[in-house]
Amino acid sequence: MDRRRFLASAGLAGASILAGCGAIENQSTRSPPLVEDRPDATYYPTHSEGMEMIGHKEAGDYMVGLTYSYPHRFWTVTGTNAEQVTIQDADSVHLMASVWDPETEMVLPIESGVSITIDADGETVADKQPWPMVSQNMGFHYGDNYQLDGEGVYEITVRVDGMTERRLDGLADRFGDAGEMTTNFEFSRDARDDISYDEYADQQGSRAALDLMNMEMIPTSQVPATEDLPGKLLGTAKGSDEVYAATWLTEADFLEPGQSYLAVSVRTPYNRVPLPMMSLDGTVEIDGETAFDDTLSPAVHPDIGYHYGAVVETTGDPSVSVETVSPPQVSRHEGYETAFIGTPTLEF
Amino acid sequence: MSDRGISRRDFAKSAVAIGGASALAACLDRFGSPDVPSGTDPATLPARQHAWDGGLPTDDAGNHRLGRHHVLLLLDYERDGTPTSGDRQQVTDALQSLERAYAWGADGLQFTLGYSPAYFDRFEAEPVGVDLPEPSALAPFEDPEFDTPDAILHLASDHEQVVLAAEEALKGKQESVNDREMAASFSGVFSERDRRTGFVGAGLPAENQDVDGVPDSEPVPEDAPLFMGFKSGFKENQASEDRVTVESGPFAGGTTQHLSQIRLQLQQWYEQDSRDQRVSKMFCPAHADEENVEGVGENLGTDSGVGSCADDVVENSRTEGVAGHAEKAARARDDSDTPIILRRDFDSTDGGEARVHFLSLQRAIADFVATKSMTNGTDVADESAVGQRVNNGILQYMRVERRGNYLLPPRDLRALPPADPAQ
Repeated sequence: MDRRRFLASAGLAGASILAGCGAIENQSTRSPPLVEDRPDATYYPTHSEGMEMIGHKEAGDYMVGLTYSYPHRFWTVTGTNAEQVTIQDADSVHLMASVWDPETEMVLPIESGVSITIDADGETVADKQPWPMVSQNMGFHYGDNYQLDGEGVYEITVRVDGMTERRLDGLADRFGDAGEMTTNFEFSRDARDDISYDEYADQQGSRAALDLMNMEMIPTSQVPATEDLPGKLLGTAKGSDEVYAATWLTEADFLEPGQSYLAVSVRTPYNRVPLPMMSLDGTVEIDGETAFDDTLSPAVHPDIGYHYGAVVETTGDPSVSVETVSPPQVSRHEGYETAFIGTPTLEF
Repeated sequence: MSDRGISRRDFAKSAVAIGGASALAACLDRFGSPDVPSGTDPATLPARQHAWDGGLPTDDAGNHRLGRHHVLLLLDYERDGTPTSGDRQQVTDALQSLERAYAWGADGLQFTLGYSPAYFDRFEAEPVGVDLPEPSALAPFEDPEFDTPDAILHLASDHEQVVLAAEEALKGKQESVNDREMAASFSGVFSERDRRTGFVGAGLPAENQDVDGVPDSEPVPEDAPLFMGFKSGFKENQASEDRVTVESGPFAGGTTQHLSQIRLQLQQWYEQDSRDQRVSKMFCPAHADEENVEGVGENLGTDSGVGSCADDVVENSRTEGVAGHAEKAARARDDSDTPIILRRDFDSTDGGEARVHFLSLQRAIADFVATKSMTNGTDVADESAVGQRVNNGILQYMRVERRGNYLLPPRDLRALPPADPAQ
């Protein structure tokens, strides 16, 4: 019988018959109504879900950790619009891949992205490119809801493409090539349904955030506190709830004499999770002269983390303007979908 | 894993996808024999093999509409060394039999026979006056395998029975087609290395959506000509047959063909993206904002209109956070501001997977490479918040699995041509 027809006919049957068969029971009902009047800022979500480790392995230069949880609702972002992705009946799990540098333990947002293929019994069950995402308790990761084909053992392959972002100092010459890892995952509904789940009826909607989870095998995706950024901190500013910190480096391995480096680190409030995939323009004035007026490009540096930066062909005491051309085009878990969606221009 | 569903590959496949005498018999049994106009004296046909437009119907707006059913046969020449005149005659006789049997049009049969760089290796020379490199990866994020058969036959018709019968006849398994005797077949000259099939046109993608890569919710619109739910191949966004024709040298009147096999994964496209996001990613963000696209896009007429989406696609993408596939592709134009490739692509359920056989014709393979580099959007990704695949046209939903390049010689050189026909 056609699987689709089977599901259609199963849908007409009583719920008691469905327990333990078909795909209906994959559905997560753990999706309470959204907070009414969500603030245009980070807010405490209605609930949080824990996650379980599937495995972690090297993939070329990268280390990749795979975790899963209940299917989630989330929001994809195009421009300044966040569109809710609802949970589908057939969704079984929310699968998350974290990619990091095993040497510095820095979680790497990679614009070229990640593909995940799920096979079972020699057949491909799913093959897609999960969304780059931020969540309050997981930080930056690649995630999506996946539709599995019942309980059992699956082989999951994660391919991470080479980074196109600028890599500075100790990260230069690394992560240019794709890497791949494969691990097994035994899916059982009982195990999934044992994952922790908490609702926050009292706190939901308040201007606060969940703490980042402490994951034993996966480093936390945080950028340094603003006071720990190298160089001269030019200042910090708040945009549409995201925090911008601008720092000015005059000495670094990658700089020639007479050059400086403007780095703008944009992170979530509360948790300091980097916000990648923004379009930023920067202007640098020194002694009343425009020394730089162009795009700030995404880059990673061992002590700055993920940021947007540009080499400026002069030194001196800068005054900096940063224009947000588009906000972070990363998908959002609940509590972040109404934040970081503006296009502020900030002065440092 | 007792509760897993049955593999969907076991389910209904179209007759063309299955192929062979039994599929043809089943098709004739079920739908009867279509009334197909007979052919003509091959000498009266266009000199260009790729001159199909004259035999294609047009839609209400005036866009040419390809035949609905397609078969691609990747063939190896069975003889080592250079072809014999006997083999050439056999190929000519076989193809001319088809031309006499079927009218040269979508309601009859259209076909081309092309040759790969691997074929020309036997002459230890490249085809004279034609840009025909070996296939290569055309994006930093793709890792395709390469097709290296000697030849490729493309059959197209509105009738499944016609493409199947023509294929059987060329394979020597059927002695006549459309009441005409076959004077010869490819038997003993060409052997089949691979067989690919597909379809294009309103209704067919929806009928064939029970495949891996399309979610079970049957999301493909009933009137969509392609799996992704939108029309393509608008007249003003296509190169003309003249523009893709080799102009000089012994292969003047020919063209080059690029064929990629692309795997589609449309779960996110249909179940996660909104209609506005799909329009933004397929066409451009302005089309979504201004609601310029109705349904599958018939209202666009003969022009996708993406030329007026943005003055500068990269700059616009920096603001919008998304770049449209069509607006990226439209940047590949020649000095007279016309597109440089002629798409004749179609969708497929080969292997039980949603696929595109992206077949395009261009004067030089470099024209395809230039167009592809525009749709790659690496410049967009490098300079904006748009990811290399996320929000970058439709790259997130497809993976290029195979690539191949071919020369489609003019009709009089289509039977096992030498590298330098002038010699």
